[in-house]
Amino acid sequence: MFDNIWFQILVFPGLVFLLAWTFFVFYFARKTLAYIHKRVGPHFNGPAGSLQTIYDIFKLLTKENITPKTADPYLFNIIPLVTPIVAALPVILIPWTPLMHNGVVLDTNYGVLGLVVLIGVEPFLLFLTGFGSNNKYSFLGGMRVLAQMLSMETPFFLAALSPAILFGTMNLHDIMYSNTWLTTLILLPGAIIFIIAMLGILEQPPFNIPEAEQEIVYGFYTEYSGTNYVLLKFAEFTEILVVSAAAVTLFFGGYRGLFFDSFFCLFLKIVLIAIVMVAIRASNPRLRLDQMLKFAWSWLVPLAVLNIVWIIFAKLYILGA
Amino acid sequence: MLKVLDFFNYAKSKSPWIVHFCSGCCSLEMLAAMSPRYDWERYGYIMTPTPRQADIIFITGLISKKILPALIRTYAQMPEPSYVVAIGACAYDGGPYNDSVAVIKNVTEILPADVFVAGCPPRPEAILAGLEEVKEKIKKGEPSAASQGGLWKQMKF
Amino acid sequence: MEAIKNVLGKYENEYIEDYKPTWVKAKFKNPKDLLNIVKDLKEVGVETCSTVSPTDFIDENKIEVNYFLEDLINKKNVWLKFDLPRELEECKIDSITPLMPSADWHELEAYSTYGVKFEGHPNLRYFLISADYFGKFPFRKDFDWKKHEESLIQNIDDITSEWLDEYEENKKTLPKDGSETVLHWGPTHPASGPIRLVVGVDGENIKWVDPDIGYVWRALEHLVERKDFVGAITSVERICFMDNPNPMICYSEAVEEIAGKEITRFAKLMRVLLGEIGRCASHLISMGGFFGNAGLHTFVMWTMDIREYFLDVLEDYSGARIATASVEPGGVRYPMPDNWLETLEKAIKKYEDTVPDMLDIFINNPLMKTRAINTAKISREDVITNYMAGPIARASGVKLDVRIDEPYAGYDEIEMDYVTCENGDVYDRLYIFFKELNQSMDIMKQAIAKIKEGIEKGEMNPKKDHLVRMPRRMPAGEAVTRVEWARGEMLMHLVTGEKATSPYRLKLKAPSVNHTMVLDSLLRGKTLSDIPLIYGSMHICQGDLDR
Repeated sequence: MFDNIWFQILVFPGLVFLLAWTFFVFYFARKTLAYIHKRVGPHFNGPAGSLQTIYDIFKLLTKENITPKTADPYLFNIIPLVTPIVAALPVILIPWTPLMHNGVVLDTNYGVLGLVVLIGVEPFLLFLTGFGSNNKYSFLGGMRVLAQMLSMETPFFLAALSPAILFGTMNLHDIMYSNTWLTTLILLPGAIIFIIAMLGILEQPPFNIPEAEQEIVYGFYTEYSGTNYVLLKFAEFTEILVVSAAAVTLFFGGYRGLFFDSFFCLFLKIVLIAIVMVAIRASNPRLRLDQMLKFAWSWLVPLAVLNIVWIIFAKLYILGA
Repeated sequence: MLKVLDFFNYAKSKSPWIVHFCSGCCSLEMLAAMSPRYDWERYGYIMTPTPRQADIIFITGLISKKILPALIRTYAQMPEPSYVVAIGACAYDGGPYNDSVAVIKNVTEILPADVFVAGCPPRPEAILAGLEEVKEKIKKGEPSAASQGGLWKQMKF
Repeated sequence: MEAIKNVLGKYENEYIEDYKPTWVKAKFKNPKDLLNIVKDLKEVGVETCSTVSPTDFIDENKIEVNYFLEDLINKKNVWLKFDLPRELEECKIDSITPLMPSADWHELEAYSTYGVKFEGHPNLRYFLISADYFGKFPFRKDFDWKKHEESLIQNIDDITSEWLDEYEENKKTLPKDGSETVLHWGPTHPASGPIRLVVGVDGENIKWVDPDIGYVWRALEHLVERKDFVGAITSVERICFMDNPNPMICYSEAVEEIAGKEITRFAKLMRVLLGEIGRCASHLISMGGFFGNAGLHTFVMWTMDIREYFLDVLEDYSGARIATASVEPGGVRYPMPDNWLETLEKAIKKYEDTVPDMLDIFINNPLMKTRAINTAKISREDVITNYMAGPIARASGVKLDVRIDEPYAGYDEIEMDYVTCENGDVYDRLYIFFKELNQSMDIMKQAIAKIKEGIEKGEMNPKKDHLVRMPRRMPAGEAVTRVEWARGEMLMHLVTGEKATSPYRLKLKAPSVNHTMVLDSLLRGKTLSDIPLIYGSMHICQGDLDR
């Protein structure tokens, strides 16, 4: 069943899974954040508020879909359709469950490469949403996305390379199975750099500069309403899933568990990363754009290069290849 | 088919998003309604930064002359169906500022409100109760009062 | 004091007299002397203008302009008066803005509402009032408001046209290519509140900032004239709901001064308590809002949680959470409820339990420090030139606190000292609020102890001592009172007529005006991301900015 192409596209790890994830992560983030705020969070809509996201999304789908008079109507309406597809593409490269052949939909020897490239395309599309809105705040948001992408993707790529160098393969399935406790420790600096750069790529606090509410209203989301907004948000959450899953696969052994291998081990690890993200969100203010650039180029990039040196050293002398 | 449409209205009523618009003292009580003791997110209300994603706009107390065009403009930017909740005595007839030269006395003639919440300023519980009434209106699929009439359509904004 | 009197004595005057321990009051015959007087006063240390307040005496056909000048270091204040003719063409006086920049917006306000023309002002324009009042000077006693109100839609269209004109103007003046543009930060911006900062930007860099205010202008000063002396507190308390009791204390002290009544010691201590509760409620929002502006909502929620406990105290006392109307001329409005002090102690305890977490997680947050330390410094000289008041001044190390300089209510019984920080940067402007909260807790504990002691000894009766009977009709007179409001010095100038039942003129001076005035110089050369942070660090309340 899991190897059927239609099942893969429509149910797992395709549409239904991604929708379920979106529903889950929206609810999960709100509830966790509320807990840290000393609040309750969604409570009355559905059991413990669990249906809240479903209501939200169906509401947005049936609301009026405004295209501003000054916006470029084609760009404004087409990009939200393209973005979720591009965001969902890396899903086929990630090993999800042992039930599938080699765990992946598309078994390729260039898994890491495909992953980082597909993840790296996304911010261009977000820039185009801001550009097409033709609104000052949206445009500024778009420019910020570009600036952030350029500076954060370098350490992101370098950190993603480190397991590939260590294990001598770009096949994600092989990387996952080559990982041991020792290599996890060796990869730990790389993992930390990856997670920090990931916050920048995903526009999560403290790097949520492109959609800074208090500065530029809502960045590139400012003019979007109704269905288009849902699609963009869907893309955002899909990207969170993809990038966290990539982090887990590359550095923390993917769906391998202590006692048994299963999708649920992967999911548990993703949730742990999500909790870390929410905790950072709840306790840190946003950085300034120039501070972010400075941090990325004078700390993160050099550290990522040093990390590569460390990985090569470890490969030669600790693992003794 | 009708049942499906009903479900959409039901979903709308369950997730009202509110645009950031504060023009008077009552916005402090809105902040209190967001805060841990009252926490309106329990009912699904959240604040959105931009009017494009909002369902409800608050007339938070007094509307001075200078901010009225901004209020109408913000309302016009919201996607349909969009509802108006007037909170506080000032939104009804000027309240304590009824004699003031700078405050609009008949805001709701200009931008008709679906629900009034009394008080100066109303307590957070009262605001929540008022919002629950808007929910009933949304659930029935009734159009908002402001889309039906009001002086705002004659004004430049 | 003598030096000031000597200076003032050189000019032709009607009288020079002492007023309260810290004031010199003087009335001059010739308005032409103003600039020279101010120049001489600057030499003896009076360098700051608190506010400018015209009073319209329509029966005597004159407008009296009051200047309140202060020496912030030596705590000596001067009150100057000049008579001007009422006719619009001749109602003019020299502007002191070139000498004292702190008078800038106060003069604009006086011009817009009373039509007093300040000659030599660098940019005299209509300000604060909405566009339909341009050129009509609504605070003058002969302004026919009912007639003005008849054409409401036309008035609103006037206001809108002003905006549209500005939009067209920008279209013409901005360069067609390049990255320069004009952003409107507000009035419906998520972090702004009802104020509009017109920001000229080049990409992300700020070229200039022009605050546009008046979005919550309620004309309170004008509104008060149509209420009786007790009813006026409902207008006065609505200056800003964040700190609600303190403006009422200020107003009540002024009325009591004119009536010549002394209130009971119990009422004085109650005023201290209520004032400090208001200060705590306000400071908690300010601190939380500061982090909220930096993109972190957790702290707002935590401080709001604590604030609810203080609002409980106010609610126990007056029945309302924030619109308490709890202080009125003659004392405090209600007798003290049973167990009220215990409720207050519970709130203090709630705050003190949260302090360690607040310090660890938020106030010492490394990312916050990265953003805030050494950003937008305000030096001691800036404080004196532009008259930053209250916490903002104390963050720069200026020892300024009306509670100590000119004790009102029961503050003379309280042991307290100036709390200051050193650098005057954004971080200090946050940290000073934390320090002041701790100080407020201390003051409240002292006042609670004194009240408990008084009740035990039988000196106070909490059920009867709260109010002194005030005369129904006031004598003619005028008074200036100051209180330390949550955001700084609040000054009220009250004028009454003979056998008056309502105030003739009440000038409200609130600190946020000066704090907004300096935004341009603070923000120039910074980036867009700094706007919410620096704006938040000035703790501006639009309510008292516009009044």
